[in-house]
Amino acid sequence: MRELNDLKVLPSTRIERLRLIFVFWVFSAGFIYIAGGLLIRQIVQSNELKEQSDSQSRRIILKPPARGLIHDRHGYVLVENRVRWSVKADLSELQPEFQAEYRKLLAAEKARETGHIDREKLQDTARRNVLQSWLDKVWFVIDATSRNIKKNKLPVKSNPVDSPTERLVKIDDLKKHLRERRALPFTLVSDLAFPGADQSVTPEEGVRAVARFVEQFPVDGPIRLDSDIIRTYPHGTLAAHVLGYVKDTDELPPNSLNDEKNELLQKLHYTGKKGAAGIEESFNEILCGLSGWELWTKTSAGYNKELLRKSDPTQGSEVVLSLDVEIQRAAEKALAQIKDSQGKVLPAAAVMLDVNTGEILALASQPTFNPNRLADRVTRTYFDEIETSGGWLNRSIQGLYPPGSTFKVITAIAGMRNKVVDWDDILECGPSYRVGSRDFPEHDPAGYGQVDLEKMLAVSCNVWNYRVGLGVGIEPLAAEARRFGLDTPLLQMPPSAGNKNATELPFPANRGLVIPDTAYKLRIGAGPWTGGDTANTAIGQGFLLTTPLHMACVAASIARGETRTTPTIIHDPGRDGRHQGAEAIGLNGLQLAALRSGLNRCVEEGTARSVMIPGLAFAAKTGTSEYFQKGQKAHLAWIIGYASADNPAVAFCVLVEGQLDTSTWGGKTAGPVARDMILAWAKKTPVSEVKSEAEEPAR
Amino acid sequence: MDKNRQGAKASYVAFFVFVAIWIMSPSFVRMGTREAFVEFQAPALHLVAKGRDLARFWELKSKSAEELAAASRDLARINAALELKVRTLEDIRQENIRLRELARYAAPREFLTIVARVASRDSSSWWHRIILRKGRSDGVRPGCPVVFSDRVIGKVSLVHLNTCEVDLVTSPNFRCTAYLEGDEQGRIVLVSGLPANSLGTARAKIAVIPMDYLPPAGQSPKVVTTGMGGVFPAGLIIGTLDANIRTTQDGNFKEGTLQPSRNLFSLQEVSVLVPIHPAAGEILLEKRYEDFQ
Repeated sequence: MRELNDLKVLPSTRIERLRLIFVFWVFSAGFIYIAGGLLIRQIVQSNELKEQSDSQSRRIILKPPARGLIHDRHGYVLVENRVRWSVKADLSELQPEFQAEYRKLLAAEKARETGHIDREKLQDTARRNVLQSWLDKVWFVIDATSRNIKKNKLPVKSNPVDSPTERLVKIDDLKKHLRERRALPFTLVSDLAFPGADQSVTPEEGVRAVARFVEQFPVDGPIRLDSDIIRTYPHGTLAAHVLGYVKDTDELPPNSLNDEKNELLQKLHYTGKKGAAGIEESFNEILCGLSGWELWTKTSAGYNKELLRKSDPTQGSEVVLSLDVEIQRAAEKALAQIKDSQGKVLPAAAVMLDVNTGEILALASQPTFNPNRLADRVTRTYFDEIETSGGWLNRSIQGLYPPGSTFKVITAIAGMRNKVVDWDDILECGPSYRVGSRDFPEHDPAGYGQVDLEKMLAVSCNVWNYRVGLGVGIEPLAAEARRFGLDTPLLQMPPSAGNKNATELPFPANRGLVIPDTAYKLRIGAGPWTGGDTANTAIGQGFLLTTPLHMACVAASIARGETRTTPTIIHDPGRDGRHQGAEAIGLNGLQLAALRSGLNRCVEEGTARSVMIPGLAFAAKTGTSEYFQKGQKAHLAWIIGYASADNPAVAFCVLVEGQLDTSTWGGKTAGPVARDMILAWAKKTPVSEVKSEAEEPAR
Repeated sequence: MDKNRQGAKASYVAFFVFVAIWIMSPSFVRMGTREAFVEFQAPALHLVAKGRDLARFWELKSKSAEELAAASRDLARINAALELKVRTLEDIRQENIRLRELARYAAPREFLTIVARVASRDSSSWWHRIILRKGRSDGVRPGCPVVFSDRVIGKVSLVHLNTCEVDLVTSPNFRCTAYLEGDEQGRIVLVSGLPANSLGTARAKIAVIPMDYLPPAGQSPKVVTTGMGGVFPAGLIIGTLDANIRTTQDGNFKEGTLQPSRNLFSLQEVSVLVPIHPAAGEILLEKRYEDFQ
């Protein structure tokens, strides 16, 4: 007790007390500083720090959605998606194997005593070796032809010399993947059902490969079966120019993530697809859907660790086209039969549309391409093949051609409306007609003698049109062509669709359309307008340029007795049949009847008689215009018209480009395509609408 | 008291030392120990299973003469019907062989059948496994299909000297391709076991069902093997598709739940189909298994 009292526990002097107070305040200040800092970080900066932490330890992986389906007007699927089974390696699970292989390679290098060791290169090689051994095992299982199971052998190692490229892990691909998408699994086989790049595997063999992998490859382990959705075109080349195709993109469709909140997070994404042509491109926003996402924590090495949340992708909406798959098929089949003397398919286009609504039932162009071969891996050879053949061009809406004699219907209408000629006027038409110092020839050297409107349309008399065209004059003739919309861009999206310049199909010919007049000729520096120019224009030659779709619209307008038809590729059952800018054709009843009768006679006894369909009357006007290709004269074969003759429901136009010869004629070459389209339409149409039963004629 | 404390301490120390040694020991030691444990455990499993069989035998033995006579009559009828069926099947088999020869069609995979009694069942939410009283010494190999009559039970995952482990169709390690009854286009679907919740029932998922697939009216469609994967013969019944078929969120396919064709945990006896020529996957499995030996 005494000892305790002797201890100096409390300061006894003033200095000591001051010292104690000083130490107390220093410690208090320190404590307040620490506690305050803690409070600031925990309460004031909490959200900001959490975001920083999250951004360093989490990542978002965006997953592309499946694109919407495309149907024809009857609901048949034209474009769909198929599951693509891929074999992928989880790189984070393979880390121990990578390290073991690396150590082995390093030991071998050291034993060789080569001096400098490139450790980074060794690591890449180790990774490649490990992945290659797994890829060999995958092929061992999926390819029943390349092994001898009876000998109970493990897979033979692939080597860069003998093995096909799809069986090798390319070190550059691996390095790129590690650099850009380390957290995502590495693809060993990208399409298990079609593993060969040459697409030589049959669908059944492909399914067997998937089944073998599913049943035989170990479920547990770093190699996974992954599935995603890719575009498939079940009808192959059918309507390829309308449907288009898709290509890879790094710009995925929007997703349901709050971007502001997740702005700082690292984002990775799988490769998505976007439309590259046709409907796939012009309706991309509707078809593309919403991306899905996964929120992961990540390891310090950058691999995925734990899945925190996810949202599945949402498929894009459907698009229903106005096409009729049977008519489209008939058109393409008939086009494919038109060949030159060497057996090469001639470039051509065919259009059929609904007279009342303007909905396009068939839109074919040749040569074409198979979008399935462009949807995933495009080989250079196939790309060049399409390029060389001119297959990218959609001739029905992009091809610009002089319309030839099919334009004579416009000349005739202009003549009657300008009172130069009437429906029953008879003109004397010899073998040629002199304009200035030049004789403009008739295509029949004997001439046609006395010709009225109906006979002109039936036999396609040139001289009648020279006389009427010159009588009307170029300005009224051009005005008549404009009245029928031959200078008007087609396939415009309705203004409500947003972008007012958007079109239903990409790049329709909107700029190159030419209706020549005096101002035009001066503008292009070709000199003053002459009577010869008018004569040429009257028969659809000269500077005139239009598309097959425009001429199909002219036929549809005449069938309805109007001037304009607004074509569309989108099906709408409630479409009211009103056409933008359309007005009455401006002919009296007798004139219009004579015009239609002339078109009927063209099929019954005129230039289209070779494609007459017994029991099904239709109206047509053929045309054979001349153009120069590579300095040589060639023919363009045209036919326009509508069916049936007395109850028009569909209008059509067919164009065939003759290649360096002049054996191509409107009725003979383009006519059979029109006939096959009409027959395909008639097969599906109630007899009451066709008025008489259609029968397939003997060819 | 001190001695008790020291004893407790010693047991803790021994436990942690054992765990440390176990963790640090190379994988072949661990696998060897595990295999030794399985082989050590095997006689006990055999004994328990045989005891169960014996109990069943005595249960039957205690039946009255009238009951046995009635059962005997029933069996005789069934036997007669089966004999007739055997003859019919033999005729079909002969016809099949003749047609194959005519068409020069390659024979399907051939299997040896090994009948095996079930020794034990592991129905925990993790494993979904049964253990059979046949092993390597009887010719069983990893990856072999296991069936009961024409029903798929599972697939052999691990083979020991006298026993083997079978992943049931509801096991997360089970995966196969199948056809759905009523799909005339014969498109394959994917069957895979699902990890069950604790105390939940064993389930398997059927994925990649085509959107236009419509099950036959008024019945649960059968799910049968395709025979394309090289493991299961074609036409075996895996189970039935549950009525609750739903569309996946991406809208491309449907998926549903598989009802296994048998109560997998009440099986007494199954057949292991051992292919005469091993499939590629079996070789991979076997080599991997051997690597651990």
